[in-house]
Amino acid sequence: MNPRGGYDHLAPLFVELAALPEDSAERRELRERLVTEHMPVADHIARRFAHQGAPLDDLSQVAKIGLINAVDRFDPEHGADFMSFAVPTIMGEVRRHIRDTSWAVHVPRRLKEMRLAIAGAVTELSQRLGRAPTPSQIAEHLKISREEVFEGFEATNAHHSLSLDYLLTDDPDSASLADTLGADDPELSVVDAREALYPLIKKLPERQQKIITLRFFGNLTQTQIAETLGISQMHVSRLLAKSLDQLRAGLVEG
Amino acid sequence: MTSDEPPFGDDIEVKVGADAAQLPVLRAIASVVAMRQDLDLDAIADFKMAVDEAGSMLVLKAVGQTNLTCRFTPTKAEIKFAATALSESGEWPDAGSFGWHVLSTLADEVDASVTPATGGHLLRIEIVKRNGLGHE
Repeated sequence: MNPRGGYDHLAPLFVELAALPEDSAERRELRERLVTEHMPVADHIARRFAHQGAPLDDLSQVAKIGLINAVDRFDPEHGADFMSFAVPTIMGEVRRHIRDTSWAVHVPRRLKEMRLAIAGAVTELSQRLGRAPTPSQIAEHLKISREEVFEGFEATNAHHSLSLDYLLTDDPDSASLADTLGADDPELSVVDAREALYPLIKKLPERQQKIITLRFFGNLTQTQIAETLGISQMHVSRLLAKSLDQLRAGLVEG
Repeated sequence: MTSDEPPFGDDIEVKVGADAAQLPVLRAIASVVAMRQDLDLDAIADFKMAVDEAGSMLVLKAVGQTNLTCRFTPTKAEIKFAATALSESGEWPDAGSFGWHVLSTLADEVDASVTPATGGHLLRIEIVKRNGLGHE
């Protein structure tokens, strides 16, 4: 995979190109030949960046523009060979494109679809099994490999703001759910009162209060809580982790 | 014991600064280990939070500029997580604390111990999360 391989014979053509008058037909022809023959270099670079999520077609286009710029700007008299000038030029062009279109921060479509498929499978399997499924069960259900399931979960973890729940639930913090934490405070007394935990829990948004209480004082599993509240297990998981962070911070301050 | 033996078999040993900023790293490792052990999603989430909680309990007690030494031991039936930190105080654990309660809820087994060490006390915490499949 050496993109430099087999382009040496083109080097003298750059000297020829530089010698040709600006608007001549020969110059245009030679320029086009140089671009065409170097095209595999541009494609190679485009492919290297494709895993970051931008469509390969777009990247190839941008890399090609980078290559044309490189051919136009290259000065053979400067001594350097074309490749060591062209590769950084093309890569710069591709990087700029990725940055500008902010593709790098987006999850590739394939992974987005994967996350949605996984979320659907989790819901279905939880209902069928009466408990949370394992990655193997999800893989089997979707007829994909376990590695793909891991990948899907990693994508979920890496992009909180684009999490499954925001895609699947309309209003994750709707007030309609907030009626649940009533007068009974199940066994909050297990915990040492000197920690002043109670007021801290009460300071959490109502849904988080509910989840904390059900998980730690009602001993329900995350899947059971998810069912009770009509949200996904992953959302329960996230809210739980967030609540614990907030409580911890509160305990340290107090 | 955690700090002396090199990892063997499927064991994973990690050393991080005793700093809350390192906890996400432990959480991420916990998540990958639990996922690859094929725990169910509830258990994966529980284990992750338990590691986080155990780690933060140690971080709060640890002497500055020291390490948390952590070891994950996954087997077919369960994952064990053991961590140690050096502390000035030997008061450990605070079994009435919310953190301890959280830990006992999340993990199947929780165990803590203190041993005298140069420069203070070596605090140790160990949690076990069982692969609940077929047991519930």
